[in-house]
Amino acid sequence: MTRSEWLLTEHPRSRRQARLGQAWRTWLAFKENRLAMLGLAIVLTLLALAVLAPWIAPHNPLTGGDLRTERLLPPSWAHPMGTDDLARDILSRVIWGSQLTLMVVALVALIATPIGLAIGTTAGYFGGWIDTVLMRVTDIFLAFPRLILALAFVAALGPGIENAIIAIALTSWPPYARLARAETLTIRNSDFISAARLQGASHLRILWGHVTPLCLSSVIVRVTLDMAGIILTAAGLGFLGLGAQPPQPEWGAMIAGGRRFIIDHWWVATMPGLAIFAVSLGFNLLGDGLRDVLDPKARK
Amino acid sequence: MTLLHVDNLRVTFPTRQGPAEVVRGVSFALGRERLGIVGESGSGKSQTGRAILGLTPPPGRATADRLSFDGIDLCRATPRQWRQLRGARISMVMQDPKFSLNPVMTIGRQLIEAARAPRAEAHDRAMAMLDAVQIRDPARVFAAYPHELSGGMGQRAMIAMMLMAEPDLLIADEPTSALDVTVQIEVLRILDRLVEDRGMGLIFISHDLRLVGSFCDRVLVMYAGRVVEELAAADLAQARHPYTQGLLNCLPRIEGGRRPLPTLQREAGWAL
Amino acid sequence: MALIDIRDLHVSFGEVQAVRGVSAAVAEGESYGIVGESGSGKSTVLRALCGLAPITAGAVTVVNEPLGRRRSAAFHRRVQMVFQDPYASLHPRHTIDRVLSEPLAIHGFADRESRILQALDEVGLGAGFRFRYPHQLSGGQRQRVAIARALILEPRVLLLDEPTSALDASIQAEVLNLLDRLRSERGLTYILVSHDLAVVAHMCERLLVMQHGRAVEELTRDSLRARSAAEAYTRALLSASEGYTPAGATP
Repeated sequence: MTRSEWLLTEHPRSRRQARLGQAWRTWLAFKENRLAMLGLAIVLTLLALAVLAPWIAPHNPLTGGDLRTERLLPPSWAHPMGTDDLARDILSRVIWGSQLTLMVVALVALIATPIGLAIGTTAGYFGGWIDTVLMRVTDIFLAFPRLILALAFVAALGPGIENAIIAIALTSWPPYARLARAETLTIRNSDFISAARLQGASHLRILWGHVTPLCLSSVIVRVTLDMAGIILTAAGLGFLGLGAQPPQPEWGAMIAGGRRFIIDHWWVATMPGLAIFAVSLGFNLLGDGLRDVLDPKARK
Repeated sequence: MTLLHVDNLRVTFPTRQGPAEVVRGVSFALGRERLGIVGESGSGKSQTGRAILGLTPPPGRATADRLSFDGIDLCRATPRQWRQLRGARISMVMQDPKFSLNPVMTIGRQLIEAARAPRAEAHDRAMAMLDAVQIRDPARVFAAYPHELSGGMGQRAMIAMMLMAEPDLLIADEPTSALDVTVQIEVLRILDRLVEDRGMGLIFISHDLRLVGSFCDRVLVMYAGRVVEELAAADLAQARHPYTQGLLNCLPRIEGGRRPLPTLQREAGWAL
Repeated sequence: MALIDIRDLHVSFGEVQAVRGVSAAVAEGESYGIVGESGSGKSTVLRALCGLAPITAGAVTVVNEPLGRRRSAAFHRRVQMVFQDPYASLHPRHTIDRVLSEPLAIHGFADRESRILQALDEVGLGAGFRFRYPHQLSGGQRQRVAIARALILEPRVLLLDEPTSALDASIQAEVLNLLDRLRSERGLTYILVSHDLAVVAHMCERLLVMQHGRAVEELTRDSLRARSAAEAYTRALLSASEGYTPAGATP
């Protein structure tokens, strides 16, 4: 029996085999989508760059070369993306910057998704005054433009990449809460939830074991699609000088640094901009592909 | 007079394991009569009905040696011809009204649109039709949106809509299974009258052998994409094919009888 | 004393009165049918019994336990339900194994392995189905899983809400036979709700006909077979279940 047969069998013999088989089927469906695979490749590249930065970055990202001869050099073989005003190699800074970008993305996802899921499913499942209170709080958060609210948080907490992450996370959960609530409303009266209640399952068990798994996939899709926006918000905060502080190689801050020379030395601002563009596109394509395989409503 | 000719109809859906044929060479001719198509889920009965109207859902494909309605070759019909046929001369009633009624239009507007007649006349006919499908409060339903109606009401509204255009051929796919038994009989009466008085042809697709047997003139029994038996409805009790016999026998009866109920023993040979 | 005693049950959802004064008594080991059309309140009676719908007025006693707003753990072990739509009653992301082990975990059963295997065996599925997902099963197989889930806590009462109306006729026969066998083997008490008089006549010794939230009349199986119904509505149901009769011909 080949591995694929073992995975795709209609008669799994253990919990693990059933779960792996299910994951394998999802992967097979995902693989069909070329653009999604491109998105996945971009995201994996970002991951590889972040992990391998110390080894593949040709130069030190923080200390530059000779300020007299190596400032603002155009792209060349020695510096494929050129150098900036402090004679630092931009390629190396972009590569090291992927670590910061990845950290922002990962931490925001890890903070915002659980908050959104918990609030949304709780509100949708219990309804009544719990729903009203939780959703009004969500509405208040939603009413502020994300960047402005993040600005306010950062202003209160002080600039820095960690505070930027907290600020972005605190402003990005409301859409997930609304989404999770909407999903919960469609399933809370379904027969399988009634059946679980009839077996004497506690509310917590139903919320965690029955409701959350069904909301999770659409929330994951939404988070992935939002990643582009999160990267842009982080870059925006960096651009405004409220995110990562110099000399950290954060892409948004790099664009801000390069804007002074944008006419004569276009590459200083363009190269990190291209990196932001590529990663945002990667997450968007990945999210679209994930929606196709995970969201049964969008499936054809 | 023959209204519809179906010759060697096949419907194929591509799957990961290669193409799957869900209708495999169905042929019949329909006059101005009530033809029942019976079978269990997956027998291809619904896909047969959809294919006649050119409504095989993609990526499925329907082919036939001959598929003609009143002299029009449906295999080669242009989109324009289809628009003229569908709704006006051939109508279809589906099992679930939710997918067939426009959710943002009132029932009344949809009825009037289906009538293709002057507004005042259409309005009167719409009210009469709602009354005819046993809707107790036609004025309320006329002004209502589909989501404001219960399942049974929606189904009746839809049947009324399909009948507004007074089609020559009606394909009814489980039109009454969402309805209560007493209402079901009333709806069948309306269909019956249309066949008797106006000479409409009716294809009645259902899983309910007892209902089809008592309502239709002729019955096609489908199994695994094929017609396994064709017989006059009155002779249903004398069915030859073991599948038809099994379907009849496994129904519980009010008079009582066998316990446990005889179950259907499927034979691989039937599907060949 | 009756195992289940329903007295003057009322159920309202806001303005809507779904059930308006229904009484019934079901003895241990009996199979009791409730027949009616959509909107008759027949399913609501079942849902009120098991706590999925509120009891607005009246009294319901199950195994000498008067039912209030909340149901005790002991109640859930005694009374279980099988739903109409096998496609909606199983969680789409849970394997059969999880579906069956969850009630055992909730009620702290020890020998889960053997109980799951035994339950699958009893409903005629076998251990090969244990780690499948619902979408890998047919409608009839799903309904068997739903029955196994209801029986795994070894209840005394099974509430059946149109258990076969979503199934093909041949599958319906198999599921009805299964329910019949389980009842005689385990001495279960059934309350079966259906719109199909023939199914109720086959399965139940007594039945209640409901319309617009009220009880129309109570019949025994024999009086149903003899067609000695007192009420016009019951007679209309009886004649409709015969199939279609042309307008001219009077039944």
